Amino acid sequence: MRTNRTFVLGAALLALVVSACTPGEGDSPAASAGGESQAADLPSLTIGSAGFWESAVVAEIYAQALEDAGFTVERDFELGARDVTHPALVAGEIDLMPEYIGGYLAVTYSGEPTPDIDESLTALRTELEADGLVAFEPTPGTDADGFAVRQETADELGLATMSDLAEAAGDLTWGVAQECAENPNCGPGLERVYGIDFASLDVETLAACSTAIAEALNADNIDVAQVCTTQPEIAGFNLVLLEDDQGLAPAQNLVPVVRQEVVDEAGDVLEATLNDVSALLTTEELTNLGAAVILNGESYEDAASQWLEDNGL
Amino acid sequence: MVAATGGNVIEFLAEVGAWFADPATWSGRDGIPVRLWEHLWISGVSLAGSVAIGLPLGLAIGHTGRGAGAVVAIANIGRAVPSLGLMGLAFLLLLPLGLGVGPLPTIVALIALGIPPIVVNAYAGLREVDRDLVEAARGMGMREREVLGRVEVPIAMPVILAGVRTTAVQIVATATLAAAIGGGTLGQLIYIGFNVGDQVRIFGAALIVAALSIGTELGFAWIQRAATAPGLRGRAYVPMEPAQVGRGGGAATPP
Repeated sequence: MRTNRTFVLGAALLALVVSACTPGEGDSPAASAGGESQAADLPSLTIGSAGFWESAVVAEIYAQALEDAGFTVERDFELGARDVTHPALVAGEIDLMPEYIGGYLAVTYSGEPTPDIDESLTALRTELEADGLVAFEPTPGTDADGFAVRQETADELGLATMSDLAEAAGDLTWGVAQECAENPNCGPGLERVYGIDFASLDVETLAACSTAIAEALNADNIDVAQVCTTQPEIAGFNLVLLEDDQGLAPAQNLVPVVRQEVVDEAGDVLEATLNDVSALLTTEELTNLGAAVILNGESYEDAASQWLEDNGL
Repeated sequence: MVAATGGNVIEFLAEVGAWFADPATWSGRDGIPVRLWEHLWISGVSLAGSVAIGLPLGLAIGHTGRGAGAVVAIANIGRAVPSLGLMGLAFLLLLPLGLGVGPLPTIVALIALGIPPIVVNAYAGLREVDRDLVEAARGMGMREREVLGRVEVPIAMPVILAGVRTTAVQIVATATLAAAIGGGTLGQLIYIGFNVGDQVRIFGAALIVAALSIGTELGFAWIQRAATAPGLRGRAYVPMEPAQVGRGGGAATPP
């Protein structure tokens, strides 16, 4: 009896130790899908992503495109927010991050992005250079903070743009992120651009761009919700995204941000492959990808490979 | 982004001090006074709710001695249920009623989370009362309610109050999560700090929550001592695991 128990305990302990010591695999099966012929010349790289669906799907698309081009790709997705992903990128723990021009410039570099994409991208590139990072060509698609209402509300009050919303602002319950009062794209921005007196609004706070805030809007707990413009729940709940007619949102196109060392090693193939992919990521494509992974529950791998197939890449 | 400087703890603490000294920290919808008050009243209401439900339940089970299995189950479920998950669930359930945003889901979740320690301790405290005293009281002609109120509860008071104390501290600390579901409280400052990368604010707000929790613990410890009959004051109770509850005694320890 005692020997048996000891043996079982010992075996269990051994199994535990062995499993703990096994290095973690990437999120997806081993990357050997693409052509092998150039693999010897091209460096392997690690692609990271932030903790939400859009970052992960775009990162997966870049990953598969680069694998098809002959790179060996490791995936380190859903690392967290910028305060995790940016240091990881600078330190070389990851080599490539899909980032948003405006958000990256404002949050990480305390810059002041504008709706003008060239201006914002130039400013971002200057900052990135100091950190040994390069941003390639931006996507035509953007994902910015926006505000949505229910269809009934839009019909009742005749709301199509943010300027329309500004007139009715005081009569509605707003759902915004906890930090909205301090976020230049939110509270202060609404005042500056649309003349909305944010401090006097009836406000509830929930995470912006979340399913929770969309559900609260849909269930009539709030009348306006701070959403992301490609958020799948907009279509899913038949919400109305109000047009940013006065240009509150900064340029929020995506760019692949890569470490300079990797760019030097990899040559033109890296840039060309990424730019080819980016050129086809329109806002509509991003929104459709969102619908696929969030509303239809597809995996990032499937959605990405389907998208690459559909777009002839 | 405001980041804490490398390893310089002194500098960071100085920044935290500066944050506390800044008048802006004490003003507005997300200033300390508004959110602190919110934290306190939500905690108070939730504690009252937990006691209102848990105490009668625990006393009933403890007095009759029947339902020990239920107490163990309640205790174990209470320890296993994740607080944030329960709040999220309450949020989703109350959304269709138009009550999803605001303090209600938080209060509902906190009451639910607060019930187990009160039930377990009330039960355990009553079970520890010397059976001879209970029999003597019955022999004297006391009705069951009198036995409970005049003999059992006064003797079990320190243990019962220890349960209330555990729940109070748990509620005060957990109320912080309300900010995730639109419930505000001091957690709001932590969430804002996290979202804008202001670690000074996160630390400062967390410090206040910690102080509140400790203050609650000490405050209720004082109440517990004050409410214990003088003859019983010297007596120490031995905290035991809920698994031992069925065998005649056990008290939930404060976390």
